[in-house]
Amino acid sequence: MAGYEDKMIRVRDVMSRQVFTVSPTDTAQSVARLMAETGVGAVPVETPGVGTILGIVTDRDIVTSVVAQGLSSSTAVFEFMTVAAESCEEDDSLLLAAQKMHDLRIRRLVVVNGKRHAAGIVALGDISRANPELGGLVLEGINRPAPVDTQLEGMSTC
Amino acid sequence: MLTQDRLWSEAVILEAGENRVLRVQSTRDAFLCLKNHWPIADGEAKRDAFAACERVIDGDDEPDVARTAFIKAAEEAQFSVHSWTG
Repeated sequence: MAGYEDKMIRVRDVMSRQVFTVSPTDTAQSVARLMAETGVGAVPVETPGVGTILGIVTDRDIVTSVVAQGLSSSTAVFEFMTVAAESCEEDDSLLLAAQKMHDLRIRRLVVVNGKRHAAGIVALGDISRANPELGGLVLEGINRPAPVDTQLEGMSTC
Repeated sequence: MLTQDRLWSEAVILEAGENRVLRVQSTRDAFLCLKNHWPIADGEAKRDAFAACERVIDGDDEPDVARTAFIKAAEEAQFSVHSWTG
């Protein structure tokens, strides 16, 4: 068992340590500029001066929640970010992170330290590079049909 | 280096023509605008603003130093500058 533990891949082994964060008062336009420069598609939102992670913004959020809604490019991040970004810790096993992505149907997790500051980002691509089979399973889970609520309109359970 | 950002006390809004508006409120964002979205390739104020942004991002100067330099660079590039505290 000890040998197995030694060989277990941890999140810290595959995550990207270069994290670009934005503040809740940054604009959609400035986040888009940062994404264009750095090539990242998701940036954690942190409390300025404190560093606590409040949420996450993806390139898709900008497209669907700002551009598609006809909102101004100066819309503040706090108006369209996903609050409480799903996270994991550096010492978590890759399997645990993969399970979380699978269950929540997401492609990225913010890696946080003990103070809930961003320590990195782990993406599905990072998992796939380390363990293609595991990455494939996560992708399969992400692409599975969403559960359909079979309850009829106007009816409630008792 | 771009992981360090310093917010400004107030946004600077630059207009070029009818359809282009750049809203900038941080040193990192100003640096990216100067680098990637600037209408002139070179200029004294642009160089000064770049240097000011780098100092602030490195923690060697205050954010509003970069903001002031950025406004001068915007005027040099003939943007219409909107700022209460120019």
